[in-house]
Amino acid sequence: MGKIFDYLDSRFVLKKPHKSFLERDLPANVNYFYCFGGITFILFLLLLSTGLMLSTYYVPSEKEAYQSIKFIDNKVYFGGVIRAVHKWSANLMVVCIVIHMLRVFVTGSYKKPRELNWVAGSVLLILTLGFGFTGYLLPWDQKAYWATVVGTSMAGTVPLIGKYLLILLRGGFDVNGITLLRFYSFHVLWLPLISLVFLWAHFHMIRQQGISGGL
Amino acid sequence: MGALSYDKTAGNFRRAVTAMRCEDKKFYPDYLFEILIVTIITIEIVFALALLFPPDIGRRINFNATYQPRPEWYFLWLYELVKYFPGKWMFIGTTILPLIVFLLITLAPFLEKTQDTSLRKRWRAVVIASILLVSAVILTIRAI
Repeated sequence: MGKIFDYLDSRFVLKKPHKSFLERDLPANVNYFYCFGGITFILFLLLLSTGLMLSTYYVPSEKEAYQSIKFIDNKVYFGGVIRAVHKWSANLMVVCIVIHMLRVFVTGSYKKPRELNWVAGSVLLILTLGFGFTGYLLPWDQKAYWATVVGTSMAGTVPLIGKYLLILLRGGFDVNGITLLRFYSFHVLWLPLISLVFLWAHFHMIRQQGISGGL
Repeated sequence: MGALSYDKTAGNFRRAVTAMRCEDKKFYPDYLFEILIVTIITIEIVFALALLFPPDIGRRINFNATYQPRPEWYFLWLYELVKYFPGKWMFIGTTILPLIVFLLITLAPFLEKTQDTSLRKRWRAVVIASILLVSAVILTIRAI
């Protein structure tokens, strides 16, 4: 490769550890339905980058959240586009996950020795839904607020632990600024960190086991 | 295709092996190229949708009037399901049924006993998956 790459590679050593990854054989009978896991990851990266940008302007407080979203949409350069990309990536991600899961199910790819990779994937599905649920509140508008009131009250009906789950989610008995800050924390810290662990596990197992030849 | 020798059985075998080798693609460059194309198309689609249909911000919160909100489309099935279990039975819709669905999905590789990947031999799994999928679609449509 080029001189700059060779200079970097002789010091940073990027090529050697990835040689087996780049040169590995793939089964011949894969089709474009095998792309949807990868597309989901591309969308994850889009969500991560736009999310990092949004977090520089968004204010997770009862008084300023709504106003800061309006500021992002109307005043910040490309703010509206970045928020729109964030929203659309999130919606498409759920679609891609469903297609990915259907593909893995139809080809029976989760069978031995790939059972645990399916389990890791199903945890990632729940985490994605968690991202969707917590992210929905952040604009702090009419539909976000009341959807969270209803959603968290559903958690309150869980037998035995319902009451504690409700307080854990709302940070008290009502949905207010504490809930907003809490959901923001879940959305930008807790869920991404937990997701990274399961994404690593998901990809590690794919690399070790190879993708399934399927049908 | 490589050179083929035509001494009947051996020839046929060799042809099959050669054909197989030809189809065995390497990750680099064959698939990496396709992955880059798929990546570009994905990003294009997201940006096109984002520019054409940007999300609107709703009204300011009215804390006094209770408002019947609608969740994101991927929670509509749950929103609809809960309606069928009013009062003290609500936990069936919010906990029991979703938990069963989650466990069925997560434990699918352990619940399926056969190692066979053909759908005909896995008809039980196919039936259960179809029921789950059709119910989710019907519940979502009813909620709209």
